[in-house]
Amino acid sequence: MSDPYRQLGVPETADDDTIRAAYLAAIRACPPERDRQRFEQVRAAFEAVASERQRLAHALFDARAPTVRDVLELLSAGWKMGTPTEASLYQLLGRHD
Amino acid sequence: MSRKKKSKPTSAVAVAGSTDTSSLASNAEAALGASRYKDAIEQFKVLIKRERRSDWLEGLAAAYAGRAEQLAAKGMVKEALALWRTRGESCGVPLLGGPYVAWLLQSGQVEQALSFLPAVDTLPPEAQALAQTQLAAAVLVAPDALLTGLLACSPMLHHRTAARAALAACAGGDETALEAALQAISFRSPYRDLRPLLKALAIQASDRPSAAAALARVTQNGPFEPLRKVLQVCLMPGTDWLSGMRHLDEVGRTLVLDLKGCPQSQRSLVLDLMPRVAETAPTSLELFNLVLRQRREIGEGLARQLCLRLLPHVPQRMDAFRASFLSLTAAEHERVLALAAELMQQPEQAQAHWLRLIKLLGATQGGQQRAALVLRRLAASHADHSPDGALCSHAVAWLGQSLDLDPADLATHLRLIRDARRNGELKQARTWLDAARTLFPEDAQLLQEAVEIALAAGSFKKAAGLAKQVLKVDPINPRVRTLIGQAHLAHARKQIGTHNLLAARRELDEAATWFRGAGERGLVTLLQGFVAEPGAAVDALLREAVGQLGNPLVGGFQLLLEGQRTKYQPARQASELLRRAGVDLAATPSAMDLVALAHALNTVPEGDRGVGAALDALHGMLERAANTLRLTESDDLLVCEALHRHGQSELTQRFVKAALERWPERPVFVYLDAAARFGASPWRMGDREFKRLDRAFEQARAQGDQRTASRLGKMLSDTGFAAPHEDMAPDADDLEAFSPDGIRAVMEAMLAFGGVDRFLETARQELGKTTFERLRRDFKGSKKDFAQSLFDLLLPTGPEPALPDRIVVLDRPPVRASSQAVKNQPDLFDE
Repeated sequence: MSDPYRQLGVPETADDDTIRAAYLAAIRACPPERDRQRFEQVRAAFEAVASERQRLAHALFDARAPTVRDVLELLSAGWKMGTPTEASLYQLLGRHD
Repeated sequence: MSRKKKSKPTSAVAVAGSTDTSSLASNAEAALGASRYKDAIEQFKVLIKRERRSDWLEGLAAAYAGRAEQLAAKGMVKEALALWRTRGESCGVPLLGGPYVAWLLQSGQVEQALSFLPAVDTLPPEAQALAQTQLAAAVLVAPDALLTGLLACSPMLHHRTAARAALAACAGGDETALEAALQAISFRSPYRDLRPLLKALAIQASDRPSAAAALARVTQNGPFEPLRKVLQVCLMPGTDWLSGMRHLDEVGRTLVLDLKGCPQSQRSLVLDLMPRVAETAPTSLELFNLVLRQRREIGEGLARQLCLRLLPHVPQRMDAFRASFLSLTAAEHERVLALAAELMQQPEQAQAHWLRLIKLLGATQGGQQRAALVLRRLAASHADHSPDGALCSHAVAWLGQSLDLDPADLATHLRLIRDARRNGELKQARTWLDAARTLFPEDAQLLQEAVEIALAAGSFKKAAGLAKQVLKVDPINPRVRTLIGQAHLAHARKQIGTHNLLAARRELDEAATWFRGAGERGLVTLLQGFVAEPGAAVDALLREAVGQLGNPLVGGFQLLLEGQRTKYQPARQASELLRRAGVDLAATPSAMDLVALAHALNTVPEGDRGVGAALDALHGMLERAANTLRLTESDDLLVCEALHRHGQSELTQRFVKAALERWPERPVFVYLDAAARFGASPWRMGDREFKRLDRAFEQARAQGDQRTASRLGKMLSDTGFAAPHEDMAPDADDLEAFSPDGIRAVMEAMLAFGGVDRFLETARQELGKTTFERLRRDFKGSKKDFAQSLFDLLLPTGPEPALPDRIVVLDRPPVRASSQAVKNQPDLFDE
């Protein structure tokens, strides 16, 4: 995931304090001994947008092309988890493949 | 093409005619045991024709079952069902009791599967449980009319009501009802897998770890496998569920998208993305076109954001972007083009677009900070290409300009101060420092810089005083402790030089209180040896110092260097000094000693005359080391660079030669070799050496080694083809006074009398170094042919040649402007 804001779970309008709080929460949830890769991603994301100057620089110079996953993440950010209908469950269980 | 030989199954006729019964029976058993079911079937069939023995019938049934399972595993479920029926007829075994019902359900023959319900209750307990489990999902979803064959007390019927209630509660989001319904399904029930499955389904959005744990309790290929697969996909981390959906059927995918909350309008886009996430990633152009095509489904704002991020990778789609979104500001346009040029590795074009962007941003309210950031990026990109990371005049000007727009950036202040200090421009460094300290008066880094500047200026007392101020702000700053120690040490050297030994001892005692490292304390001991009363104590102190400094090579080097710096002993008495300190000049240093020496050399400023004298005295040791030691590549490079830095050409050449024997044509060693051999007169090198450097340059660029490429590029551009004759170079204004015929005459005369080298030198000056070198690199041929081609190229238009399209005239000599000059520039970005 290339977008540091989504990595930290904050909006692009977030201020320094919000971003720092999100970063600390993320590394508490995912310390390096548990998931090194995720920890590195979170740290890199924080370092990219920690201050206003860095956020402006990120907006100006980030030239990484979005991937299919990025597109999906952006799309799904606005989705609300749904529940299945009874009919869809019966339809699924009635099929055997 | 070789043809694969297929093993031929034994035909019944061949089997019957050629083998007696006992060997046929043993062959059939062997085939069955080896899973050669087709052979086993043929052989058992022949045996049963001879005598219908029960063990042979069992063997035939097992062979049929094995073969049917082989077919089902290949997806040939209908063929497997047919074979299973043949098994029942030929061997007199019931259809139920194996995978038959499951295969019926799998092939969509639900009603036929359900018709076996009355027979299920007649099966032995184990087979009964298996059949009930296989039929559970079918019974759950089947209309009541198809379940008339079930006994009222059958667990399939008994728990069916609770299972259906659980499904309804789960779909309705009624947690209490779901819990109650699931409680009614016992762990022996054919519907038992529904308990963890529906629990996982209910919490998959709110508590993913618990949902995953519940799902892990469900066995694969159970009666509710489609639901298990859907949940498995939903619980995949991140966006993996998109690729996971590829393994589901349409109904499964729809349910996943329902659970994820994907709106109907976006489903076609998501399903369009699905195959692209797992297979070859789509190009930026494909993704751009896809997002543009589906922008209404995605939402205009989101689609614009995505397309804008993709545009630097597909600048050719700029017009399509404008047409679709009807907006692209001038600043966005320049930014996209600048990034696109960077991605295409066209730094000059990128710079032009960044500069235009700065103008646009600088003119807007609130755009100044962004303009400052762009200026810093430009400066950084120039510094990246500088061999030693130093700032060129443009970069200094850009950074200064950036501080006018955004003065609160401490990092930029520090960059400018450090760069000026390292270049020996102490006055300029103090100017930058004063400007920074008005904004950050208590900043420890700035105070530290003040210490370093004072030290560089030889104001040792001032440096010590400033360093103490730093320690007030940052009491554990190790760098400053070292700086204070060094300030006292430097002062002590000065006192030794003027034979003020008492003051020198006092400074050394003070220095010793600040130093922690053995090396630094070794230097103090060494200087204490210099100021000690004559006698045995001097030699003892010198020997102790050599020990503290780590090894005889480094100890000897520091001893001689300090001897030179303090004028303690003339260079000609170096051997005597080394002997007194216990340094054996006949010894061969180890690889570690050499690396330590390289580090010691790197701490000494360039141009320190003591270095040359010290290394001269240690020449024998170093020569032996170069001839005998086998260093690692990085250590070899460290040693060569350290020697090169101090202009030790002969020693550098020795170590580089050894390195090139082990790593031939490694660009950085090729550069160091040429630098050591030709030094400040690179034009002396011949065509062969030029080509070698050119190859190394290309190789460094291909390897992404920008620093070496930059150093090689500079050396190549400094070569020309002969010694430059500045006084002989024709003035461009003079040339312009000629008519084309006149120019031809001059150029021909130049070639005739001055020779090829003179002509090329003139062409180099006319075209600029960069253009000239590019042309030279692109040209495949001899120097003479190249000169002739240049002649033809220059001739039609005179001094303003019509260059080939791919060559852009870029050369702008980076004249280092003084700060005053920079300030006086009316507009930095007019170009």
